Amino acid sequence: MKKLSNGLTIVVSEDHSAPTFGICVSYGIGFRLEPEGRTGFAHLFEHLMFEGTPNSPKGVLDRVIEGGGGANNGDTRYDYTEYIETAPISALDPVLWIEADRMKTLDFSPKNLDNQRNVVEEEVRVNVLNQPYGLFFAIDLPGKAFDTYPNAHNFYGDFKDLDSAKIEDVKAFYEKYYTPGNAVMAVVGDVKPEEVFAKVEKYFGQIPSRSTPPRPKVDEPPQKAERRSSETDKLARVPGLAIGYRMPPRKSGDALAGAVAGELLHNGQASRLYQALVKDKQVALSVDGGVNWPLGTPYEYAGPTLMTSFIVYPPNVTEDQVLAAYDGALKDLAENGPTQQDLDRIVAKMRSDRYANLEIPINRASALSHAVLFDGSFDSVYQVPDELSKITAAQVKAFAAKYLVSTNRTIINRTPAAAVAGKEKGAGQ
Amino acid sequence: MKILSVACAFLIVVTQSWAQKETQLPKDLPAYGPERPLSAPSVKISKLDNGLTVWLVSEPGFPKVAFSIALHGGLAADPSDRPGLSQLLGNTIDQGTKTLNAKQIAQQLQAAGGDLGVSPGKDSTILSITVLSSKRDDALTILSDLVRNATFPDEEVALAKRNALNELRQQESQPSFLAGRAMAKVLFGDHPYHVTSATEQSINASTPEDLRKIYADRFRPDQALLVAVGDFEEDGMLSAVKSRFAEWKAPSSAPVKVPAETSSAPQHAIYIVPRPGSVQTTLELGSFGPLRNAEDYEAARVANAIFGGTFGSRLTRNIREDKGYTYSPFATLQTYQAAGLQITRADVRNAVTAPSLNEMFYELNRMVTTSPTDVELNTAKRYLVGIEAIQLQSRASVAGELARLWVNGLTPDAIGTYGKKVAATTAADVDIAAKKYFPAAKVAVVAVGEEKVVRDALAPFGLPLQDVP
Repeated sequence: MKKLSNGLTIVVSEDHSAPTFGICVSYGIGFRLEPEGRTGFAHLFEHLMFEGTPNSPKGVLDRVIEGGGGANNGDTRYDYTEYIETAPISALDPVLWIEADRMKTLDFSPKNLDNQRNVVEEEVRVNVLNQPYGLFFAIDLPGKAFDTYPNAHNFYGDFKDLDSAKIEDVKAFYEKYYTPGNAVMAVVGDVKPEEVFAKVEKYFGQIPSRSTPPRPKVDEPPQKAERRSSETDKLARVPGLAIGYRMPPRKSGDALAGAVAGELLHNGQASRLYQALVKDKQVALSVDGGVNWPLGTPYEYAGPTLMTSFIVYPPNVTEDQVLAAYDGALKDLAENGPTQQDLDRIVAKMRSDRYANLEIPINRASALSHAVLFDGSFDSVYQVPDELSKITAAQVKAFAAKYLVSTNRTIINRTPAAAVAGKEKGAGQ
Repeated sequence: MKILSVACAFLIVVTQSWAQKETQLPKDLPAYGPERPLSAPSVKISKLDNGLTVWLVSEPGFPKVAFSIALHGGLAADPSDRPGLSQLLGNTIDQGTKTLNAKQIAQQLQAAGGDLGVSPGKDSTILSITVLSSKRDDALTILSDLVRNATFPDEEVALAKRNALNELRQQESQPSFLAGRAMAKVLFGDHPYHVTSATEQSINASTPEDLRKIYADRFRPDQALLVAVGDFEEDGMLSAVKSRFAEWKAPSSAPVKVPAETSSAPQHAIYIVPRPGSVQTTLELGSFGPLRNAEDYEAARVANAIFGGTFGSRLTRNIREDKGYTYSPFATLQTYQAAGLQITRADVRNAVTAPSLNEMFYELNRMVTTSPTDVELNTAKRYLVGIEAIQLQSRASVAGELARLWVNGLTPDAIGTYGKKVAATTAADVDIAAKKYFPAAKVAVVAVGEEKVVRDALAPFGLPLQDVP
């Protein structure tokens, strides 16, 4: 790991198993910090990072990276926005050049803003408005579970906010958050650290440092009572239920026990919720979820987050029947804890999943860069498997008893619109 | 006639307005470095006495091993009155064996660090799992049990059927599912490949006996491949495989037959799938493409990448980066044992349904009329070669790719020869493949969306507007 004089941090991890590399540049800006009245802006802005610079017009980035045999993408999340590329090693220099170029300035073009506004609105349509369930477990649930704008607003953006974004907003956002000191770059693959550090000095060293605003507080006032609501869905044909419990801060002593509890409940067919809801009580078709799901891992968050369960259930089953089975599974965990066998199994699975993620250079680059962005150190990336092995059944039990309680949760029941008229109203409210 | 002329005028206007310029590279952009060739995975090939083919790839590093078991026979081999039965088999094969119940199987797989994936394809069924290398023998034991001793318990099959009915309802609310199902019916007609999923009727009619029968017919060592990729010594792994699979016996029944090859062009028509409440139209264009082992497969891949297979492709630059009609346009070649397809798709907001289809037709035809530039050709070729190396970074994807090659009748060295053939592809090769596979007049169009929106928007094209057969 190394820090340039302008504040940019670089992490390098060697992996010579293939002549390829993965790179991730994370900036410390995400949904939580986008301005009020500009919902969806952090993500819209991410799209504009691909639209060219004065030095490198629109189209160059794709031509250079795809022509280098690689692929590129970007992701916006609550606490970071990342730009990722992976390619054969022969493309390392041009890819570093591209990342440096867009860290200097952008082509602040109103035409490109209009174009990407359209593209983003199509993205919202294809993923939300034209889909059954419309990601309500990821958008509406935090909206109900949290009380403050940073954590509760619609991160994909209301169309009126997207429509009112101006090129001046784009410039101001870039100036404020896209600074070398607010970025961490990780390079993983068939490289030597000293070579990468020298290249990074060459391409990024001349970028002037700029001040980065201090991170505002994004804490939530405590939740005091269960929150329940219902929604209708004009596209879904089978009802769905989303349940979210507020989680402790990632750096608290409880967080890793929470990660284990989340996986015990949700990971695969052996999970407690699958066994209880799909197999034993037969009140659900599928159960998905976990801590910081679906937009991150239990090991990466820097503000309030939830353990979310998303359950799809048959139309002839009621919400209360699903909840009764769900509560039974949680009560068992809180009263009896996991057996040592349960714990050994899930920890083996979590370690295995972790290795599967770190095996791919671009994913390892992401994990390293997020860890340094959040903590100033990447140690946690490699310590997670060992730390998981130290979690005890008593810790998981205590976690469930403390956090997985009804006063700490929010529930949304979502039913097909056509079925509402003829059936009982959703429970709650 | 007026309607037709409107469509023609429309086409001409757009053709003139959209001329793509080649992007110029910045002067100080560094050149690509020297290539370091990808070494294709070194596969040790064995065959057990019972006919089981075993491909082993030893790759030290992370403590993981990926397994795939591929068996000939999938959706195309299902009884004609039980379409989609392979999917029910996929959902129930891990729900009980002679010695383990469903929960025990799930728990043992989790303890090994893996999730079992079962993929019923048109031609094959592939089981895959990636586990911690310290647990690889446990995983092999369970895999062997699943392919030899699955029992399809009555109560588990009954539950799986109930859930499959609701899952089908859920899938039918997704535009991508509706488009894919309709396209297969349009392209394949009565050919066994027309099935993409079970129906309400077939799910209701399926019995545990049906499942036990196709399981007995298909799960046999002489029609199977086992792949292992990861952190192991080949000799040790081979004996671990032998000790668990050597006793597996092939039945005397005839193996599954491959369906007849098919590639007859569909009617150039628009098939409408009504989906009330849609705020987008899902446009899927399909025609026949090359088989995986065809001479022009690689040239067609290059053509497809230039057309719509990348961010920098003609289609994406046009309808996403210039016009903002869609978020995720894409074009892909799909290959089965007896057919190849070229599929293009875009989800577009209702208001731009007609101009989007117009541009998709235009870009298909431009593949036929306009040779790739040097930049387009070189970018596409380097992209395809490079991305193959990227995709093979994980053991699970190497195992999966080897299994798919075997299903398509190819050997492991296809991974190496693919890149060489792509690299040797010329502009003339691309032109020939484009003329053969990309003319807009050869595609069938499936449009999923709000029916009135779709009808009004697409009537001016003058093509037959039809219901899905």
